[in-house]
Amino acid sequence: MQKIIQMMQTNGQSVLSALGTHIWISLISVVIAACLAIPLAIMLMNHRKLGEGMLQLTGIVQTIPSLAILGLLIPIVGIGTVPAIIALVLYALMPIFQNTYAGLTHLDAELLEAAEAFGLSWWYKLWRIRLPLALPLIFTGLRIATVMVIGTATLAALIGGGGLGTFIMQGIQNNDNTDLLIGAGLSAVLAVVFSIGLQFLSRFSIKYLVMLTSCLVIAGLGYGSYYYYQTQQHQKIIIAGKLGSEPEILMNMYKELIEADNPKLEVELKPNFGNTTFLYRALKNDQIDIYPEFTGTVLQSIHPQKLVSHQPKQVYQQARKVLKNEDQLDYLQPMAYENSYALAVDQTTAQRYQLKTVSDLAHVSPQLAAAFESDFYNQSDGYPGIKKAYNLRFKNVKSVQPSLRYEALKNKQVQVVDAYTTDPQVKAQNLVVLKDDRHFFPPYQGAPLVRPSVLRDHPEIQESLNRLSGHISESDMIKMNYQVAIEHQQASTVARNFLQKNAFLK
Amino acid sequence: MEHAAAQEKPIIQFNQITKKFGSTNAVQELTLSIERGAFFVLVGASGSGKTTTLKMINRLILPTTGSLVFNGENIANLPLNTYRHRIGYVLQNSALFPNMTVLENAAVTMDAQGIKTKLARPKIEQLLREVGLNPDKYAQRMPHELSGGEQQRVGIVRALAAEPEVILMDEPFSALDPISRKQLQELVLDLHKNRQTTIVFVTHDMDEAIRLGTRIGVMQDGHLLQVDSPQNIMQHPKNAQVAELFKTQQTKTVADMVALGFYHVNAQQSGPFVSEEAALSELAKALLNAPTQIVQINQQISISQTDYLRYMAQL
Repeated sequence: MQKIIQMMQTNGQSVLSALGTHIWISLISVVIAACLAIPLAIMLMNHRKLGEGMLQLTGIVQTIPSLAILGLLIPIVGIGTVPAIIALVLYALMPIFQNTYAGLTHLDAELLEAAEAFGLSWWYKLWRIRLPLALPLIFTGLRIATVMVIGTATLAALIGGGGLGTFIMQGIQNNDNTDLLIGAGLSAVLAVVFSIGLQFLSRFSIKYLVMLTSCLVIAGLGYGSYYYYQTQQHQKIIIAGKLGSEPEILMNMYKELIEADNPKLEVELKPNFGNTTFLYRALKNDQIDIYPEFTGTVLQSIHPQKLVSHQPKQVYQQARKVLKNEDQLDYLQPMAYENSYALAVDQTTAQRYQLKTVSDLAHVSPQLAAAFESDFYNQSDGYPGIKKAYNLRFKNVKSVQPSLRYEALKNKQVQVVDAYTTDPQVKAQNLVVLKDDRHFFPPYQGAPLVRPSVLRDHPEIQESLNRLSGHISESDMIKMNYQVAIEHQQASTVARNFLQKNAFLK
Repeated sequence: MEHAAAQEKPIIQFNQITKKFGSTNAVQELTLSIERGAFFVLVGASGSGKTTTLKMINRLILPTTGSLVFNGENIANLPLNTYRHRIGYVLQNSALFPNMTVLENAAVTMDAQGIKTKLARPKIEQLLREVGLNPDKYAQRMPHELSGGEQQRVGIVRALAAEPEVILMDEPFSALDPISRKQLQELVLDLHKNRQTTIVFVTHDMDEAIRLGTRIGVMQDGHLLQVDSPQNIMQHPKNAQVAELFKTQQTKTVADMVALGFYHVNAQQSGPFVSEEAALSELAKALLNAPTQIVQINQQISISQTDYLRYMAQL
């Protein structure tokens, strides 16, 4: 609880903005779905066969897992808010259509006969009789849809749509319950609040409700076009980043550097935008302009290739060439630190055996126990590979959940774990990262990946970003990651402090 | 009398109308005139075609063959909704719109015609008074707050409000308790007497037909057996079928009398006992022999000599 309060104090702004995005995405999805489903139900109410068919169809859409829908939409509409809203609209259609259709078609036959016999027009019957009588069911549909959409909207974070899901994903990524609780808790609270709000609205007459919806739609359209106009007017540089503290810190540094050198340029940040595939595709589709990427990742997952060497410089050159040739992207100079796989030991073990490198470790390995994360334990570029490369022979090796390996270390059940070289846990647990002196692990150096037309239009950006080249050590990065991921300081503050302290900024 | 009525143009004229539902004929070769100002009762067992006949008047059901002429015009050529504004309709279960107040329900046809509520309101309040509902108390109530009888009174106001030329009533009282039924029958008779609006009334109850109708059409299996005044139907049934439907009162039972509301709710438990299944002649004997001139029917109700005489006088 204390952690949550602390988190809200330091990151209140980003929590609020995520909450805002979440509400906006959910609301717009439900309104669009209602504007589609309700008129559709009205059109089909006198065509039973078509209506039943539509019920089946919306039901089928419902059974497609939401992640699959998002995946299917990416090639068509790309990433960000738009596919998230489309997916949510598809989900919200079923409950709204089903309930509206049921409400409109299951009316008392005698009432309809009376309305018919009094010579009431189609419109009069619709507005004064059918819709008011169907209203309770329509609202049931809206409430189901809203609660569902607010829950499902957490997945928008997966494709750079933002919202409360960002915190949930960060929480999973960093194994941090504070983030998870804030994301999940707020979305639950939101669902309850909206459900109660709709209950309240259901008391109003059809006339007011239609007026209210029209106002919402007009306001939404107005804001949308204003927003569009704004983005068209100002040429903005959009910098995105993967999930986690490190990309967010780097993005903020890029922003500071670009804006310091060229105050006219506006930089927009999209932190926690998604995974590698999403970001790379977004960059290729011109939806973002810059994001930090690792050299190793380029050659291992984006354009998988056999490494010509494990020397960082050669790996960077290889990656730069591939990116230029395949996708005409510019890969700027990398920073100093590497964020690769590593083996780490606790402080006592390191001191007792005088361990500095993995080769040192190999000598004493029969006396030590190790716990590795299951991916690392299984992949050939993980434990099986390094075991062979250094001839490691541990007394005992376990494959465990990511968070459990640190627990095991703390409880002295094991002495060796796998880690990332800039993992904030290194500082939190006071670990000693052993040097990969035989260069078994491919180097992962971070460098800005840039859309080509960005440098054509603003060539000065290249210079601004290359100022970081060869700077930021592993210990710098560990420290900054620790400040953001564990202490919940704001990434922007941490980035600015670093740049000022090291004289990148005046 | 037949001759005099024929001189005025009938308000509704069925010409050779047949209605088929699939292969069955609901109504066969129906030719019928309904005079302006008549209280015309269509009577018959269920499945006789009487409701189908009624609903062809406001085109809820369209005839398969034949034509229906209203005021000299073939209704197939009239614009549907404006034609329906000229026809009032009272349904069996009142069918008030549950989302509207009594006032809104009654004003619905006028509202659909674009008549402002301000203009409609005084007229509806007057009509509510006529059917025995205080407008101050009832105008703003919702249908579910009313009893069955009150709902049907509002249903009648709704049918009358737009000043239709004809009011159609489809078994309007058959779902009501005997007391309410009797009260509403009297109400409709009064309204008809005062306004002379043509009423076409469907019932399966022969007593109700005789009690209300100025003219009665007897239907069976889609055929019109006889159209005549109540007296002639009773005294000169055209054939054995009509005679069977309108059995003489001697064969009627106490239950028939109770069904029409001719009884008292028990004030005291006294007098001899006669069962509901007993013939009316037995009731008459018991009443003659009873010192209090009251006969117990069951725990709740009793019949006095006055009830009996009033029942006989109605026929």
